[in-house]
Amino acid sequence: MMATALPSILTILPELVLATGALFLILTGAFQGTRSINLVNGAAFAILVVAAIATVFQTSETQTAFNGSFVVDDFARFMKVVTLLGAAATLALAIDEMSRQLQKPFELAILVLLSSLGMLLMISANDLIALYLGLELSSLALYVLAAIDRHNAKASEAGLKYFVLGALSSGMLLYGASLIYGFTGTVSFAGIAAAVKGGSGPGLMFGLVFLLAGLAFKISAVPFHMWTPDVYEGAPTPVTAYFAATNKIAAMALTTRVLIQAFGTDAAEWRQILVFISIASMGLGAFAAIGQRNIKRLMAYSSISHVGYALVGLSAGTQDGVNGVLVYMAIYMAMTVGTFGCIVAMRTKDGSVETIDDLSGLARSQPAFAFVLMVLMFSLAGVPPLAGFWAKWYVFSAAVDAGLVPLAVIGFLTSVVGAYYYLRIVRVMYFDDGPARFVPLSGVLRAVLAVCGIVVILFGLLPSPIVMAAGAAAKSLF
Amino acid sequence: MYSAIVFLPLLGFLIAGGLGRVIGARSCEIVTTAFLMLGMVLSWIAFFQVGYGHQGAELVDLAPWFISGGLRVEWALRIDTLTVVMLVVVNTVSALVHLYSIGYMADDPSRPRFFAYLSLFTFAMLMLVTADNLVQMFFGWEGVGLASYLLIGFWYDRPSANAAAIKAFIVNRIGDFGFALGIFLVFTLFSSIAFNDIFARAPEIAKGSFHFLGFDWPPLTLACLLLFMGAMGKSAQFLLHTWLPDAMEGPTPVSALIHAATMVTAGVFMVARLSPLFEQAPFAQTAVLVIGAITAFFAATIGLVQNDIKRVIAYSTCSQLGYMFVGLGAGAYSIGIFHLFTHAFFKALLFLGAGSVIVAMHHEQDMRKMGGLWKSIPFTGAMMVVGTLALTGFPFTAGFYSKDAIIQAAYVSDREGHVFAFLCTAIAALMTAFYSWRLVFMTFSGPPHWAEAEAHAQDISDAHKPQAGTAFAPAADTSHEHGHGPVHPHESPLVMLVPLAVLALGALAAGFLFKGVFFGDAAEHFWNGSLVFKDEIVKRIEEVPFLVEHTALLMMILGSALAYWFYIVNPSLPGRLAAANPILYRFLLNKWYFDEIYDFLFVRPAKAIGRFLWKEGDGRLIDGFGPDGVSARVIDVARGAVRLQSGYLYHYAFAMLIGVAGFITYFIVMGAR
Amino acid sequence: MDVSFAFFYLFAAVLLGSGFMVVAARNPVHAVLFLILAFVNAAALFLLLSAEFLAMILVVVYVGAVAVLFLFVVMMLDVDFAELKQGFLQYLPIGALIGVLFLIELIAVASFIVSGGKIAGAPLAINAVAQGERNITNVKAIGDVLYTTYVYYFEAAGLILLVAMLGAIVLTLHRREGVRRQSAAEQNARTKLTAVELRKVPFRQGV
Repeated sequence: MMATALPSILTILPELVLATGALFLILTGAFQGTRSINLVNGAAFAILVVAAIATVFQTSETQTAFNGSFVVDDFARFMKVVTLLGAAATLALAIDEMSRQLQKPFELAILVLLSSLGMLLMISANDLIALYLGLELSSLALYVLAAIDRHNAKASEAGLKYFVLGALSSGMLLYGASLIYGFTGTVSFAGIAAAVKGGSGPGLMFGLVFLLAGLAFKISAVPFHMWTPDVYEGAPTPVTAYFAATNKIAAMALTTRVLIQAFGTDAAEWRQILVFISIASMGLGAFAAIGQRNIKRLMAYSSISHVGYALVGLSAGTQDGVNGVLVYMAIYMAMTVGTFGCIVAMRTKDGSVETIDDLSGLARSQPAFAFVLMVLMFSLAGVPPLAGFWAKWYVFSAAVDAGLVPLAVIGFLTSVVGAYYYLRIVRVMYFDDGPARFVPLSGVLRAVLAVCGIVVILFGLLPSPIVMAAGAAAKSLF
Repeated sequence: MYSAIVFLPLLGFLIAGGLGRVIGARSCEIVTTAFLMLGMVLSWIAFFQVGYGHQGAELVDLAPWFISGGLRVEWALRIDTLTVVMLVVVNTVSALVHLYSIGYMADDPSRPRFFAYLSLFTFAMLMLVTADNLVQMFFGWEGVGLASYLLIGFWYDRPSANAAAIKAFIVNRIGDFGFALGIFLVFTLFSSIAFNDIFARAPEIAKGSFHFLGFDWPPLTLACLLLFMGAMGKSAQFLLHTWLPDAMEGPTPVSALIHAATMVTAGVFMVARLSPLFEQAPFAQTAVLVIGAITAFFAATIGLVQNDIKRVIAYSTCSQLGYMFVGLGAGAYSIGIFHLFTHAFFKALLFLGAGSVIVAMHHEQDMRKMGGLWKSIPFTGAMMVVGTLALTGFPFTAGFYSKDAIIQAAYVSDREGHVFAFLCTAIAALMTAFYSWRLVFMTFSGPPHWAEAEAHAQDISDAHKPQAGTAFAPAADTSHEHGHGPVHPHESPLVMLVPLAVLALGALAAGFLFKGVFFGDAAEHFWNGSLVFKDEIVKRIEEVPFLVEHTALLMMILGSALAYWFYIVNPSLPGRLAAANPILYRFLLNKWYFDEIYDFLFVRPAKAIGRFLWKEGDGRLIDGFGPDGVSARVIDVARGAVRLQSGYLYHYAFAMLIGVAGFITYFIVMGAR
Repeated sequence: MDVSFAFFYLFAAVLLGSGFMVVAARNPVHAVLFLILAFVNAAALFLLLSAEFLAMILVVVYVGAVAVLFLFVVMMLDVDFAELKQGFLQYLPIGALIGVLFLIELIAVASFIVSGGKIAGAPLAINAVAQGERNITNVKAIGDVLYTTYVYYFEAAGLILLVAMLGAIVLTLHRREGVRRQSAAEQNARTKLTAVELRKVPFRQGV
């Protein structure tokens, strides 16, 4: 019988902080009720920030814990920091939104904490069981979050759809995982990698396809994306921001780790799937978004196409490619949080609005707000001096280096199509006339928008810090 | 300290630009000016530390900028003698111009914006001169171009200012295109754009060849010519000079700072900075020499007949920049830089003096409507005379040392075309003296032409009226309807006069104070390898024949005497001369018809092609099959994609299952290994 | 051929059959009953593997709790399944196509293995706990590893259950105002003094 050495507390410190923090806040909320709402929200935000700081200061050596189920390396740390920052920023949006609403469920902040914890577990997962548990922890909390505005029929519908399809995807993932276990005799990624080295049969590929289907659902890649527009539109805006900004990052990290670390030698096989998924996502995201009038739906399609771009980097399967994915996801997080911050800010006296036409004339009534949104749109479109350009640049150049020139060309073409709908928003803001309708922005929103805008501009001018951090992170996977 | 020098203006820009409305115009002025003053003091300290303390070249790393493939670009400050010389020039002139602008722009409502732009310009210029690699230099290069555009078009409600700003921008684009190509070529050749790497490997690369378009090109010559094209654009050299005179649409302090003392010398600085490259490319050097000589001559001829006080000085600037390039092309880089250094003082002085005159004349710029101002604004007059003395090269003033040295360097150089350059510069020296004194005489002496003019609406603009194409003789303007007045010329406030005095000091003393270190005995140590310094040129200059040694002086005396004869002794002579040689006069007045030629050669065909492409190519072909056709298809596709999104849960689930089935079938059929 | 093989095929066949009937049954109550049958058969399969504890858990939790809950829900909701099934025929062809495709592919993979195709990695090593030490009980074997080797999974699963509970509360608990609830503490704290008022009622006069 193996005695289990408990891991060094530093290895799992961020997770411990989130877990104990969440438990403590549940008790606080349960005893104090809605009176404690400000305390719970503030503490949850602080816990996320503390966890991010704890992650930053972890040692950069690769460490494993719990018999190798849990791994902390530079890759994990990079993705965790991005995820936690995204979670903290979106929680700030949620707190701001909540201050305007009658319903103030204190559970929201706790669910954010728990699902963030699930994401961290996903990022650090080093075997199939840990993978599934982390994924399920985060997903379950997300299903609830989608429907947390339970008096709103659309939100309830979103939550239900997400839950049912999520269960289906979990089923597929589990089926794939069991096949992989059956054909390799191990659940650990290192063990799978060793088994795959000798060549994989059709059975293993069968398992991998199912596993990938489950993961592709989480990152909402075509054809597993169908839930995204409906859920993004129905869920409360800050929750949507949370879906878009953090969940995808963790799921992308997990996908990357599985494909590179467990199936790295099989790259020629899964690359074919990824190339297809990537092209389909980029294409569908670009084309379907054109017809949208609701800005949240538009952002859903936008996020689908961005996942496609990130997968371009992963398709390369090289260290440069992973580097590109990391850079992409980090910049994507900043852009998405900023854009959803803008959407949260679209409040009139009568409540929130979310069609694109509501933005008309914004440049005249709220020039600073319009400017930030314009910067974000340009960045999402990948216009050169901004961060979004570098994001695309690194994934495309990695793809070209790996010989996937057609993929990069298609990516470029779809980003041209995609630019159309981003620029349409800019046009509406700057060239259409409209009354000044939105109420002034709160301090929290101003801060979030300012930070995102500055980050997008600054990384555009000076991309190297993030690229170098991502480079170190990518290195730890190979 | 070096970071402070560079980033103080940026801070000033951010404060004035970002908080301008909050803290008020006065605070903006004080903040930006104070930062620049501090920068100036630090620059002079750096100058003496590096130049005289013989501190070696120093690199201040700031941050890596971007890495892409083999290209690695860092933000870094390269501090060596050449840099500190430029730091001194830029910060001194900029600080004084900031100070001067407080007075000059006193009644402009958007002063915060003006000061923000000035500081932004200064920052970009400092980035340019401290650059450690070509890309950072290009960043500064484009930054000053942007600031210049913004400042020329500062009064954006005037169509002429906007047109001038656009013209400056576009003409500079042509040069920048060359510069960018040059950078690409350098990277192709050296696989690096850091100066240290380039300079170290220049001799080795020069021996190779570069195969392009089926020809073998001498690699460095091609690279240098492309880079020089950038310099020609920025420094308004022959063929790409047309933007500079029009740029005078901007406020006068801007002209002094950007279009006389600093930005236009960026090209000169660039060639000097890359002197190790140019040394390996003799043909490129000859090109520099010849273009510089032509510019010096040709701009001076135009300067002879212009009537707008700022345009005369603008053409003079153009001509003096030609001198600097002659110095560089002759291989005497240090002398070229020395002229840049001295020129910054006296040309800024002249511009600011002209600004003071313009303020005194209530924003009138036509010299024909001035005259007799000596009694009204004696201090400004004295300052203008000092500037003129320095510009014409009166003994012991700044210009005397630097300009003479250039003319002599052209004489002794062993580059091809040096005799041509010598002749051009010598004749240009004569013309320089003529037009400079003409300016002074027309403005300050003789009978006043302003009192007799009719009262006119208060048009507080310093826009000149466009003159191209409408030539009239200088004497025949009293009936001209755009008279201003009645005016009561008055001396400018102290805040404008102090910078004049400081610059006058520089114009008088910068020559003999720094001659020794720039190309005298101490020069070798002073430059300390920051540019190619060739001792033998200085030696040969000391041995030139007596006549050559005093050519410049002779020409100066001759030119000054002629001006005196034309405008004091016999004021009717210029009009008669113009009437006697109408073709030549018009040719010069219309600036060699360059604008017209360009209009005919480039602008109109470009417009015609553009219209053709727009109507036929774009409208029929591309829109027909392209955007309209494509967008119709795109919308179809989009509609299809949206229709997939039915909202039914089982459709979604089905899509997932079909996806999985598709992938698996693909693998079974294709046969996984 | 062992007798246990015969039972294996029996249970497996019933399991598959009842699984199919869960989907195919017209009456939803019947469908749930088939589900229960499937659970019981799965438990029997566990028994054949001598995993008695898991078998009992399956019966207790799934049959005893989950399936009965299902039954309640189905009966209470009175879902009109006939209506739901109207779209069924419409999607039957493509559904059947996909199903058949999966089946063929699974058979292809299976035949690949049966025909001696290589399985990546080592053949499945049955856990030493189940195989080796016959004399320890199921519960002890699971307990030995659950809180040591697999404590991470255990804790993570615990958190998932916590989220599930939290989610259920958030989505369904209505905290309505003005509803009188039982308060045991308040009730216990009542004394004769606070609860009972004694009045002297005058004789023959009413209250």
